Amino acid sequence: MKIKKLLTSAALVCFAAQLSAGTGKLAVDEVVRKANNAAYYGGDDGRSAVRMTIKDKLGRVREREFTILRKDESDGGKQYFYVYFRKPSDVRKMVFIVWKNIDKGDDRWLYLPALDLVKRIAASDKRTSFAGSDYMYEDVSGRGLGEDSHELLEGTDTRYIINNRPKDADAVEFSSYKVWIDKQNFVPMKTEYLDKSGELYRTVEALSVENIDDIPTVVKARVTNHISGSVTSLEFKNIKYNIGLKKSVFTERYLRRPPREARK
Amino acid sequence: MKLDKGIIKFSMHNAKEIVWIVAVVTVFMVTLTALPTVWPQSFHFLKAMKVDTDPENMLPADEPIRLFHNSSKKEFALYDMLVVGVTNEKAANGVFNKESLENVFELAEFAKTLNWPAADSSQPSEGVISADIIAPSTVDSISQGSPGEVKFEWLMSEAPASEAEAMRIRKNAERIPFLNGTLISENGKAVCLYLPLTSKKVSYKVSSALQEKIKTLEGDDRYFITGLPVANDTFGVEMFKQMAVSAPMAMLVIFLLLLYFFKKLVLIISPMILALVSVAVTMGLLVITGNTIHIMSSMIPIFIMPIAVLNSVHILSEFFDRYPKLKDREKTLTEVMGELFMPMLYTSLTSMVGFLSLALTPIPPVQVFGIFIGLGIMFSWLLTITFIPAYIMLLQTSTLDNFGIKTTGGKRPAMARFISRTGLFSYYKSRWIVAGAMIVMLIAVYGMSKIQINDNPVKWFAPSHPIRVADKELNKHFGGTYMAYFQLEGVSADNEKLSVDYVKKLTVKSRLHRKHGGVPGIRKAFDETEKEIMKLSGVQTKKEFVDRLLDFADRKLEEASDDAYDAWDEVYSFAAKEKQSGDVFKNPEVLAYIGKLQAHMLTTGVVGKSNSIADIVKTVYRELLSGNGSHFSLPDSAEGVAQCLLTYQNSHRPQDLWHFVTPDYKKTSIWVQLKSGNNRDMLKVVDSMENFIVENPPPVKLTHKWFGLTYINVIWQNKMVKGMMKAFAGSFLVVFLMLTVEFRSALWGILAMIPLTVTIAFIYGIVGIAGKDYDMPIAILSSLTLGLAVDFAIHFLMRSRATKVGTMSWRNTTIKMFHEPARAISRNIIVIAVGFLPLLAAPLVPYKTVGVFLATILFVAGITTLLILPALMKIFAKQLFPHHTSRLFFCNRRACTVSSVTLAAVAVINFNLYQKIGFVQTGLLMFVFAGLSAFVCVKLSKKEKCKFRKKNRRKNR
Repeated sequence: MKIKKLLTSAALVCFAAQLSAGTGKLAVDEVVRKANNAAYYGGDDGRSAVRMTIKDKLGRVREREFTILRKDESDGGKQYFYVYFRKPSDVRKMVFIVWKNIDKGDDRWLYLPALDLVKRIAASDKRTSFAGSDYMYEDVSGRGLGEDSHELLEGTDTRYIINNRPKDADAVEFSSYKVWIDKQNFVPMKTEYLDKSGELYRTVEALSVENIDDIPTVVKARVTNHISGSVTSLEFKNIKYNIGLKKSVFTERYLRRPPREARK
Repeated sequence: MKLDKGIIKFSMHNAKEIVWIVAVVTVFMVTLTALPTVWPQSFHFLKAMKVDTDPENMLPADEPIRLFHNSSKKEFALYDMLVVGVTNEKAANGVFNKESLENVFELAEFAKTLNWPAADSSQPSEGVISADIIAPSTVDSISQGSPGEVKFEWLMSEAPASEAEAMRIRKNAERIPFLNGTLISENGKAVCLYLPLTSKKVSYKVSSALQEKIKTLEGDDRYFITGLPVANDTFGVEMFKQMAVSAPMAMLVIFLLLLYFFKKLVLIISPMILALVSVAVTMGLLVITGNTIHIMSSMIPIFIMPIAVLNSVHILSEFFDRYPKLKDREKTLTEVMGELFMPMLYTSLTSMVGFLSLALTPIPPVQVFGIFIGLGIMFSWLLTITFIPAYIMLLQTSTLDNFGIKTTGGKRPAMARFISRTGLFSYYKSRWIVAGAMIVMLIAVYGMSKIQINDNPVKWFAPSHPIRVADKELNKHFGGTYMAYFQLEGVSADNEKLSVDYVKKLTVKSRLHRKHGGVPGIRKAFDETEKEIMKLSGVQTKKEFVDRLLDFADRKLEEASDDAYDAWDEVYSFAAKEKQSGDVFKNPEVLAYIGKLQAHMLTTGVVGKSNSIADIVKTVYRELLSGNGSHFSLPDSAEGVAQCLLTYQNSHRPQDLWHFVTPDYKKTSIWVQLKSGNNRDMLKVVDSMENFIVENPPPVKLTHKWFGLTYINVIWQNKMVKGMMKAFAGSFLVVFLMLTVEFRSALWGILAMIPLTVTIAFIYGIVGIAGKDYDMPIAILSSLTLGLAVDFAIHFLMRSRATKVGTMSWRNTTIKMFHEPARAISRNIIVIAVGFLPLLAAPLVPYKTVGVFLATILFVAGITTLLILPALMKIFAKQLFPHHTSRLFFCNRRACTVSSVTLAAVAVINFNLYQKIGFVQTGLLMFVFAGLSAFVCVKLSKKEKCKFRKKNRRKNR
């Protein structure tokens, strides 16, 4: 199976495995690159219906449902995302469009139907919450490969373990994060973020992986914020790959009127 | 009496044994207290000393307001906060310069690390909750980026690199209503950090750590730490330090005064030992029985000490005056104790019962306070009649050689002469004295009418204390350091019955949608919807109805063909609108109302700032539209609000929203910052809001409630200060009852109450006229009069009565009374009043209050006893000394009636405290009871026994 065919619409499974510019160790680079592709570049495009459940420390649950569409220019290259909110009903038809750029910050647009307003969201900082969940914007589109230095740690029988340190420590709230990558299909299974004092404060996990159209795909995932006690769970349904999405879908034209693929 | 002689004799003859027993008991109690406190692990089976100075805990844990306060704090993830202000008066832009902001940044980073393993194992850790810190480096700013762009960024992600950047931070902060006046001062020159704490109990620890850190920061910045949590916690710590300084100081002064009066060092050690032992045993008992040392019980030693010294000074004084004549310890002691035994018994008994009666009130801290002071008084009395004689007997005879008042050779001491003259003055100018007293009382009553109940735990510190200074400084610059929260809740519609009316209206609405042109298949879709509405009209509640209608629309939308999609999309929107009407706090009308409430709060002059969900929505909406101030408004639909809020949640701190609203949007909390923690001011805001809401009802049904520490303080003040007032009134009556029974006469009872009454009226009058707040320390200390004023009165009256029998004329009685007895009282006044004056130097206001109180009580009660009482007794000599009196209490029908009525009044007050029955009902009951008791008393007094005695008396005459 060609790596290019690997697809996971579970792009939201946060983590980012990156190429290391400095280590020169081919093994690390290879693992990181393959994992990045497995996590964010399955197929040439894809769609999935997502049910997001945010449960806070007090057990109060908020639910969001949205459809996510994705199209890649090339593996490891530029990507387009289209997020169409379906529930709760008062944010229905809200749309996020993300253009993930490799060489510069991402472009993001937001459409608010009740105010009939299209807004660009500044690219300055991607480590903000995605729609009030424990996911961050950077988890949606992936973290730039060159932003961290990577180190291959001693793995287990089934997992590679990569430790990642940010090159610009002031730009992020973590001091490092560790990723457990499946040795068979390179799907990142778990990511643990340590805060500045070295304490674990955030965990992202793939809970269930299925082969869809021969592509190992995360169908259940979870983020736990150990500080706030909040947990966000994701379930992916109606996953389809290589459906021939047009590039125009990911432009302002489709903000006010969602494409067919996004509606259900 | 045989009992008294027996006890004294026993004490004198078993002196060694008594001293041993006292020593062993004391050591035992101290050990039992110290062991588990110092080595809690090894002695876990014993009760260790528990200290809790949190005023909140003055209310029982299950008090409704506390339960609500705690559940609301949890629901909105709110914590008690420590407030750290940073100002810079030297720099032109205040702290908005490169260096100061570097310090602020460093301090905030340091605050994030203030976390320790929790003492309470149920918590993961204790300290600062770093995720919720409000500091320039931890909050988000929302602003305009390039045209059409909205930007979320940390307000100060790192210390500014240039002065220009520092000013940009200031400008950005001023633009965000949430931050302006809260994080950044109103004049834009100071910043304030808000550090939420896992519990108030760590605030002293956090504050101390911050102070250490601040010492390492350079520059001209000034730092201020305040807030109710740190005030409460710091008070607890400093109270003990103060106790360790003040108590020995008071002991030392008392010791020096005793030495001045009685000259003999060995002798005057005895009252000191007595006071110490009484305090040690009482406090030991308090700890051993598992009671907590809280604000009230920490005052117990200060109550017991003077009362304990009082009795022994009476003995020493008499002993000092008589020993030179008799030159024999045993004889002198027997004589002194014979005369003092009954007055001492009665004073101790009266004070004890007075304090014990506080246990009838339903306020646990007051109960503990009353019971242990009562026990302490009893214990000190026991020591007085056993230990003092024993101690004197153990002294070498030679040590007493030149002990005693100088009677021969030369004049008597000036004090003795002065006191004698006072006695004659009271005799000859009795009417003038009484008239003067009445004028003073009238003024006092006027003063009492001006009393205002108010408290503020921050004001328990002297004005120069860093916490008070910080309080003043920060409230000048910022919205306020006192937090309260105003919660609004939509009246739950979950159980609302589905009404026919509602279904009808919905059907009509649905038909209107049917005609919506341009959407293919819309008629068919809404026809089906109408059928579904009919089908669902049988369900019980509206909620179920709406939920099922939405499910229906959702299902249909899923199944819809591409052609019918838009039509079903309309149906879904139609159903969703019904569903959303339950999300009260997304409704723009309701949010506008919240804005009105906030605006009204500001008009009280107490609230400096408030933050609400409405402010968040307006801020986000403004930035979405243009960033111009003119767009600082609310969107016109609930969806608009929801979408603004979802946008807000794309920030670094999405959780902040849940401090203001619950995720189901059915409850909201307005964060109110008050510039003053005075309960009176909080109450003013509460009342003002109450009126405003009545006059301006909300657009939908809402309930409102307050919580937060500043509000809790109002509640405990109501309970404690007012409760203490009532409890004191109850004790006052109990003392009167005791006195009436002891003297077997209502008239004597009233007379004995005069020093107590005059003293308390005088003090309250001064408090009222001086405009000093009637606060917790004053409420507690009022009860000190029970122990002190009563002592003087009983001693004076009992001994007057005894003297009168021997001398027959009141003039002669007066002359005799103004020798030893009056001297003993005067010495007591000076010893205790002056002894506690060092407390005035304490940095804690309640300690100063104790010092002032003790001095005032002693002087006023002393003067009343030595001037007003003899003057009144001269005027009412006939009534006071009738020709016949019965030793049987019920034979005196007046005393009997008055006592039973008093008893009934005590019951009324306590019933009222428990709030089981109102004042009117109990008042009526009391009226009936008074009539009945008068009847019974008259009947009883006509009994054979009484008649027999009366007849006997007549015969004897």
